[in-house]
Amino acid sequence: MLLKIFLTFLKIGAFTIGGGYAMIPMIKREVCERQGWISEEEFLDGIAAAQTCPGPIAVNISIYAGYHVRGKIGMLVAVLGTILPSTISILAIAMLFQRYAEQALVQRAFTALKPAVVALIAVPLINMAQKSGMTLKNAWFPLAIAILVGLLHITPVYLILITILYAIWESRR
Amino acid sequence: MIYLNMIFTFFKIGLFSFGGGYAILAMIQQEVVLKNAWITEAEFVEIVAISQMTPGPIAINAATFIGYKKAGIGGSLLCTLGVILPSLLIMFAITVSYLKLKKLPWFQQIFKRLRLLSVGLIAAALVMILGHAVKDWYSVGIFVSCFLATWIFKLSPFMMLIVAAIFGMVFGIV
Repeated sequence: MLLKIFLTFLKIGAFTIGGGYAMIPMIKREVCERQGWISEEEFLDGIAAAQTCPGPIAVNISIYAGYHVRGKIGMLVAVLGTILPSTISILAIAMLFQRYAEQALVQRAFTALKPAVVALIAVPLINMAQKSGMTLKNAWFPLAIAILVGLLHITPVYLILITILYAIWESRR
Repeated sequence: MIYLNMIFTFFKIGLFSFGGGYAILAMIQQEVVLKNAWITEAEFVEIVAISQMTPGPIAINAATFIGYKKAGIGGSLLCTLGVILPSLLIMFAITVSYLKLKKLPWFQQIFKRLRLLSVGLIAAALVMILGHAVKDWYSVGIFVSCFLATWIFKLSPFMMLIVAAIFGMVFGIV
């Protein structure tokens, strides 16, 4: 059973390129439909929980699913399976990259990859903004965060702590 | 000492990254580029590009890459461990008690506010790399076409980066 959990999450980790949200449909297919480990409702609760917890969503959801299938050990095995493909492939690339980074072909590829990365971040920014319940009235808040962190280089740590404290105060009022 | 600092830094990154993926970038920039200067802004953009072309979550990829660059394989394992440790601890607690927690008003309110905050954090990451990544007509053109390709024509981020890499190899000038 543990081996099966490991192999399932290894597959999930290995075949989801683009990370985070791109992994969710694949995890659902494997965990709910193929293996029948958890029900669809449980999975949706898991997604919600994974999004509220800090850290990578794919790791969080594998903790949730792994725990549901086989307790603490299941949880650790699922996490290991999820991160192993990315750790190994990045290590391989990092080793090669240091050797080939100076090559003209690689550098030329990065002249286009750099602006592409900006687009890569801009698209989910719009999608997230639409889904976050942003309105004209509260848009000042993400805007202020963007200026404070992006331009004034204030660490997100304080802003997150203040936001959490404010939300608690707000709900107790 | 560097090992201790690395695991602590990535623990902090894992702990304060809400909203997954892109919202994590601002936190990595803050800690790794600005505060510790382990990598430059240009290298950071490279790592984001590489992360999106390889399997797995971006935070894990970035932690592994930066850890390796600073302190070899040992460093990469420590950084990866550091970044997932908060998930392991907190997600475990949430998994066990989520059904109870989600009914509490203060819990709902926190995440309603944090959702909006993570939109701001993604925008911050964008602002920080913009100046390094888009600086002439060539890069403006690539940015606009990549943006339209993924937003309107729903090209997957992976395919978009592959196309951009090939385009750069052919037309890029170093």
